[in-house]
Amino acid sequence: MKKRYGELIHNISAWIIALIWIIPFVGLLMTAIRPMGELLNGWWNFKVLHLTLKNFVNAWNHPNVPLSQGTMNSLIVAIPATVIPILIATMAGYGFSRYRFPTRKGLFILIVLMLALPQQMIAVPIFNLMNKLGLIDNYLGLIIVHTAWGIPWITFFMRNFFTTIPVAVEEAARIDGASDTRIFFSIALPIATPAIVSAAALQFTWVWSDFFLALILVYSPDKLLATQRIPLMRGVYFVNWGLLSAAAILLMLVPISVYTFLQKYYVKGMIGWSSK
Amino acid sequence: MATVNLEHVTKIYEGKVEAVKDATLDIKDKEFIVLVGPSGCGKTTTLRMVAGLEEITKGTIRIGDRVVNDVEPKDRDIAMVFQNYALYPHMTVYQNMAFGLKLRKFPKHEIESRVREAARILNIEELLDRKPKQLSGGQRQRVAVGRAIVRNPKVFLFDEPLSNLDAKLRVQMRAELKKLHQRLETTAIYVTHDQVEAMTMGDRIVILRDGVIQQVGTPLEVYLHPGNRFVAGFIGSPPMNFIPATVISKNSAFWVKTSGFELKIPEDKVEKLGPYKDKEIIFGIRPENIYDKMFAVAAQKENTFKVKVDVVEPMGNEAYLHVLSGSDLITARVDFRTKASPGEEMDLVADMNLMHAFDKQTEKAIM
Repeated sequence: MKKRYGELIHNISAWIIALIWIIPFVGLLMTAIRPMGELLNGWWNFKVLHLTLKNFVNAWNHPNVPLSQGTMNSLIVAIPATVIPILIATMAGYGFSRYRFPTRKGLFILIVLMLALPQQMIAVPIFNLMNKLGLIDNYLGLIIVHTAWGIPWITFFMRNFFTTIPVAVEEAARIDGASDTRIFFSIALPIATPAIVSAAALQFTWVWSDFFLALILVYSPDKLLATQRIPLMRGVYFVNWGLLSAAAILLMLVPISVYTFLQKYYVKGMIGWSSK
Repeated sequence: MATVNLEHVTKIYEGKVEAVKDATLDIKDKEFIVLVGPSGCGKTTTLRMVAGLEEITKGTIRIGDRVVNDVEPKDRDIAMVFQNYALYPHMTVYQNMAFGLKLRKFPKHEIESRVREAARILNIEELLDRKPKQLSGGQRQRVAVGRAIVRNPKVFLFDEPLSNLDAKLRVQMRAELKKLHQRLETTAIYVTHDQVEAMTMGDRIVILRDGVIQQVGTPLEVYLHPGNRFVAGFIGSPPMNFIPATVISKNSAFWVKTSGFELKIPEDKVEKLGPYKDKEIIFGIRPENIYDKMFAVAAQKENTFKVKVDVVEPMGNEAYLHVLSGSDLITARVDFRTKASPGEEMDLVADMNLMHAFDKQTEKAIM
């Protein structure tokens, strides 16, 4: 009986926390799908309720900063800025977990230290460097910075995952006749798929949601990324909250779909490897 | 099929830990040899050096006529079965077994026929399309063995392959592996910490301790004539009794004198024990060579001794007695009909023809 009460309290607490968590999002959704006039007394006022997708259409086809173009631009940056660091860091993580080489420990400490570096601290050096390289207002510059920023944490993440895979599996492949490269691509990589997918989902979301680095490096109106466009949708004399909310939801849809689609792998990747 | 020779092989890890010390071992063609010893004795390291998974610090390893010290594992023509099976989790059973053949560029039809034949031998034909996670422990073990036999290697290496199975399955797989070896006639090196596995499977047994080979011999040789106290204690269950004793001369005969009894040394053993007269030795006698006097056929005064029963463990077909003789604890494996009961005194009879004696300092067998 006591256990039942305990469970009930747990359940109720979980529901309360979940509700508190979701309320801002419900507010955002309501603001996006209702006409401006109905929101003046607060979105929680449901006396009059009309639903509309007009805000979404307007945000997508905005006359000055269309989100459609922003989404395309964001994809152009986010896809390579996910794939490249994943490729490099997966190999690096594997190297750290499997090979013994002289600077191994020092290098790994350096990587962990880099994880603690705040982005704001290196904003100016990044701008100067990219300026010298002629990569300001160029997606390549942004992709390079995101790649460099992603490699340390993905290396760390992948290295930790690889250490959970029994070495015996790779030794068996070695005896079976596989070379180091073959072992990596045919054995380690397929086993590490859940971790790679998790890292990719996180990196993609990070790049997709980034505002700061894009703000430093990209400024031409037609090159602006999706995140940069939302604040520009705010008028000078009038703030169309419905439009802003709809744009924010559209922006969120991409990472949410990525997570939903990859959920199966994502959970596995976070738990670690198991033969069971 | 090939011989395997280890000559003065040493393995030192990171310049400090000496895992294997000066191991010399000649394994004959088609032989099933078992490396046995407690954890950390260097048996797995030795096996891994033969496999090429560990570098050799000193010495030479030959497979057939070829020195393989610097040969890659894949080029040694060996196959290995790992303790945790080490199956490729993302591949089906068929793909697991075919992987090695594919890498060696065997034609497709040859791969197919070899995998199917191995699957037939191991009775896993119906599992070929399954992934390892859909298999039980015993089935995974069979697949791991299958992966090894399809390649038809010169040498099989087994690293404690049965230790993850339950007791019943272990006994069954033990017999199957032995049968498989008789059928394939491939040289096999088998590592285990289980002395029963070693005794039942090996043509010869290599007993290791702290990286040093203690003794090499057939199961019966190491059981009947252990080279030192460690081997005597490691082989046999329950382990041999070791009792501090002195060799004395009395009534024109030699006797073993302990804190609790005096037993006469048989005449054929006097020659070797004679020089130890009035010196301390370690007297060894196996529990199965001690009998309850009530059921002993050759009970005489000079091989009978009185003890106090401490614990009785009935095993069904026999009983283990833990008894106290003077200050020494002794285990005896006696007839199940024994009337021994804790706290009471009783007479036990030792078969002194099967006695052992070890030098107190070196712990080496005296005879």
